[in-house]
Amino acid sequence: MNPPRPADRGWRLPRHELALLAAVVLVFVGTGWLDPNHTYFAKWVESRDIILRNTSLLGILALGAAVVIIAGGIDLSAGSMVAFSATTCGLLLTVFADAGDKRLETVGTAGVAMAIGGAMLSGLLVGTLHTWLITAIRLPPFVATLATLVGLRSFARAMCLFVTKERWGSENQQINIGTPFFVWLKENNVWISTATFLVLAILTWLILSRTVLGRHIYALGGNEQAARLSGIRTENVKWFAYCFGSLTAALAGIFLMADSSVAQPGTMARGYELNAIAAAVVGGCSLQGGVGTVTGTVLGSLFLRVVIDSVSKLIKASADVYEGMIVGIIVALAVTLTQFGGLAKTGHALFAGARGLAAIPTIAIFAGLLAMMAAANIDAFRGRTGLLGAAVGLGSLLLLAAVRRLQDRRP
Amino acid sequence: MTTPIVAFRGVGKRFQGVVALSDVTFELQPGECHAICGENGAGKSTLMKILSGVITEHEGEILVRGQPVSFRGTRDAESAGIAIIHQELNLVEQLPAAANIFLGRERRTRLGLLDDAAMELEAGSLLAGLDCQIDPRVPAGSLRVGDQQLLEIAKALSLQSDVLIMDEPTSALTEAEVARLYRVIAQLRERGVTILYISHKMDEVFRLADRITVLRDGRQVRTVPRSATTPKEITGWMVGREIAGQQFHQARPRGRRLLEVRGLTLPWPGHPRGYRLKDIDLELHAGEVLGVAGLMGAGRTELLEVIFGAAGLDWTGEIRLEDEPVRFAHPGEACAARVAMVTEDRKRLGLFPELDVAGNVSIASLGRASAGGLVWRAREEALVAPMIRETGVKAAGPQASIMGLSGGNQQKCILGRWLLTEPRLLLLDDPTRGIDVGAKAELYTLIDGLCRRGMGVILTSSELPELLTLADRIIVLAEGRLTAEFARDEATEAAIMEAAMAC
Repeated sequence: MNPPRPADRGWRLPRHELALLAAVVLVFVGTGWLDPNHTYFAKWVESRDIILRNTSLLGILALGAAVVIIAGGIDLSAGSMVAFSATTCGLLLTVFADAGDKRLETVGTAGVAMAIGGAMLSGLLVGTLHTWLITAIRLPPFVATLATLVGLRSFARAMCLFVTKERWGSENQQINIGTPFFVWLKENNVWISTATFLVLAILTWLILSRTVLGRHIYALGGNEQAARLSGIRTENVKWFAYCFGSLTAALAGIFLMADSSVAQPGTMARGYELNAIAAAVVGGCSLQGGVGTVTGTVLGSLFLRVVIDSVSKLIKASADVYEGMIVGIIVALAVTLTQFGGLAKTGHALFAGARGLAAIPTIAIFAGLLAMMAAANIDAFRGRTGLLGAAVGLGSLLLLAAVRRLQDRRP
Repeated sequence: MTTPIVAFRGVGKRFQGVVALSDVTFELQPGECHAICGENGAGKSTLMKILSGVITEHEGEILVRGQPVSFRGTRDAESAGIAIIHQELNLVEQLPAAANIFLGRERRTRLGLLDDAAMELEAGSLLAGLDCQIDPRVPAGSLRVGDQQLLEIAKALSLQSDVLIMDEPTSALTEAEVARLYRVIAQLRERGVTILYISHKMDEVFRLADRITVLRDGRQVRTVPRSATTPKEITGWMVGREIAGQQFHQARPRGRRLLEVRGLTLPWPGHPRGYRLKDIDLELHAGEVLGVAGLMGAGRTELLEVIFGAAGLDWTGEIRLEDEPVRFAHPGEACAARVAMVTEDRKRLGLFPELDVAGNVSIASLGRASAGGLVWRAREEALVAPMIRETGVKAAGPQASIMGLSGGNQQKCILGRWLLTEPRLLLLDDPTRGIDVGAKAELYTLIDGLCRRGMGVILTSSELPELLTLADRIIVLAEGRLTAEFARDEATEAAIMEAAMAC
C-alpha cells in the first residue's frame, strides 16, 4: 500500500513547480552575474519588459495547449491559428477603414471592436471544426490539427489576397496596421499583454481546478472510456478544450499583430505551436493526458523564455537561431528529470549494448560542435574555438564512457 | 523418477507489498499435462508470467532440466524451450500468418533480404502438422480466433519449445474449435511436449490433465494426480469455504415492476451471425437481483450496455423503466434517469488513475459537490466520506491514490461512485472479477442491502456460484439469444451450463 499523500491544499506549490521557480531565479541571477555587461542588473527595466512580453505571448498559447493536452488531445495548429486570427483582424480593419486608407488609420472604435470580435470568432470556428473532425469524422487529434496547421496558414494567405484585391484593387501579401488603438496597444504592450496573460491564467486555473467542467477535462484525459461511461458528455468537453486552444491562439494573434504592426499570414508565428506544447510539457503536462497544472504551465513558459533570453545575453548571438535548440534541450531535460527517480531506482542502463556505444560519440559530437559555435560568440575564446570544441567533445566522450563503465559494473 | 523439466521452489511475487503469489513449489515431469486451477486473482497468470520471463524479479527459484535459471526476458524463456500462448493473443494482425510465426527471427536469403518463400513453406508445414488449413499468406487478423490460436501454437513449435503454457485457451473458442484444440494437444503430447494448462473449467481439466495444482489467493492449496480427486473437491479448494453456503436472496421483498425489456435486438453488421443480441425479453422488479449467465461473447455486457445507453441507438425493441419507454443515446441520459452501471473492466472502463479516491467516487455526481458554479473540495469530501464508510473502502483517506488500492477496494470506490447518484436500477457487469474472496463477500452483503432498500439489480458474472448466491432469478444467454430463465430454486450449475451452450 502506498503511504498516504499529504493534501495539496492552499498555496503550497508541489515539487515540480517549486523546482521550476527555483530554476527561473537561478538562471536569471546567474545570467546577470556571468554576463560581462550585467544587462539584467544594469538595464533591469528593459530586460524585464522583454521577458514579460515574450512570456505572455508564449504563455497565452501554452495555456491553450495545456488544456487540450490535459483533456488527452493535442493541438498542432496554434501557430497557424495565430496567423489566421491576425489576418482576420487585419482584413476586418481594411473593411472598416476608409476606401483609400491603406495604413488603416481611419478605423473607429466600433470597427476595432468588430475586428477583435471577428478574430476571436475565427478561433471559435476553428475550435469547432477541430472538434467535428475529431468526434464525428474520428480523425486522431494529431491528424486533424496537422491538417489545419498546414491548411489554415494557406487559407489566411488566400483570404488576404482576395480581400485586399476586392478592397484596394491590388493583391497584398500583408496588411500594415496603423490603427490608433493597435499603435497604443503596441506602446503599452508589456503591461496589457502581461495582465491579459495573468487574468487568463487565473481564469484557466479556476476552470481546471474548481469547476465541474475542469474535473471532466482531467477525467477525459485520464480515461476517456470511463469518462463516457460515467455519464460525462465527452464530446462537449472536447469541444470546450479545442475551442479554448484556438481562442487562446486567436488572442495571441491579436497581440502579435499589434506588436509587429503588421498582419503577415505567410510568415508570422511559424512554429509557435511547438513552443507552446513544449512549455506545457516543461510545466508538467503529460502528453498521455489527465495530468498538468496551470501554475506549472505558467512557470514552464517563464522558464523557457528566461533561458532563451539568457543565452542571447551570454553568447551575443541572435536568440532566434538558438531558440529551437534551447527549447529542445530543455524539453528533453525536464521530462528526463521528472522520470529520473524511476530511472535511478530500477538501475536502467543509459548506454547499454551497441545502441549505447553508438549514442556516446553521437552525443559527444553534438556537444563539441555546439561548444565550438557558442564559443565563437564569446570574446575570451576568439581564435581558439576549434580547440575548445574538440576539448568539450572529448570530455563528453570520456564522461559518458565512464558512466557506461560504471553502470556495467553494477550488479 | 526422471529429472523434472521445470521445478518451482518457493516461488512468490509481491506487487507494492501486496502478495500476488507466495511459496509455490511443484514440479513438471517431462511430457505430462499439468493443469493449474484457481479463480481469477488466484495467482495463475502471475505464476505463468514468471515462468515465461515476463516478470523477471520474484522470490524463490525456478529450475529448468535441473538447472536453476533466471530469465531476464521472454527471449531467455524461449531459448530455454518455454513458450506461452496468452489468453489475449499476441499477433500483429496486419502481417501474414507466416510473418507472425517468424516475427523477430525472420529467415533471410543470401543477400540479406526477407526470404518469404522459405518462411511460407515452413509455416505451411507447421500449420499442416496441426491439422488445420490456414494459408500462411493471409493476414493474421483475418483469421478466426481458433485459427489465430493455432498460429501461436505453430509459432511456439517453430521455436522448438518443449514446454508450452496455455492460458485459458478455450475461453473464446467454439465447440468445434475446442475439439480440434484437444486433438492438437494430444498430438503435441505424442511429440513429448510438456503442457501447463491453465483453466478453471473442470471438464477440460479432468479431460486433459495428468496432475492438477490448485491456487487460491496467491497460495498453493495442493498438487494432486487427477485420478486421486474429483471436480467437486477441486472446486471446493479453488473457492474456499467462505462463500459456500451463504445465501442472500431469501425473503427479499419484491416491489413494483422496475424494468421491462421486450424484443431487444442489437445488430452486428459485418458478422456472419448478424446480431449481438436477438429478441431478448426480461423483467426486473424493485428489490430483485436478476442474474445474467452466459459464456464469453454471449452478449451479457452488450445487454447491460444497451440498457445503459452505452451501445448507441442501433438496437430495436422496447425498454420501459417504471412503465416509461426509454431510449438512452448516451450514458449521461441513463444517469439522469437514475440508472447506474458498474463496468466490467475496472482499469480500462472504470478508474481515473490520475484522480484520487474522492475524485473517483464523486465524478458522476459533482453537481452535488458544487455551489455557485464551483466545486468545493470540502463539500466533495463531505459527500464522499459517508459513501466510503458505507461501502467499506479501506484507504488512507479521500486523498489516497486510487491506484494504490487493492482491486476489491477500487471496485468498492466505483460502486460508491454510482450509489452517490442514487440509482433505482443498478447494472453490475461481472463486478467481482479479479478481486479477492474477502472483498467479494463484502460486496455480496452490500448488494443484498441495496436490494432490501428497493433498488433493482441486474448482475452478470462469469462465476456461476456467484449468481446462485445472489440472484433471485437467472436468465441465460447463448450467442446473443435468451435460452433459459430459472427461478432461484430451479437453478443448478449443470442446468445453467446446458442452457449457456445450447445454440
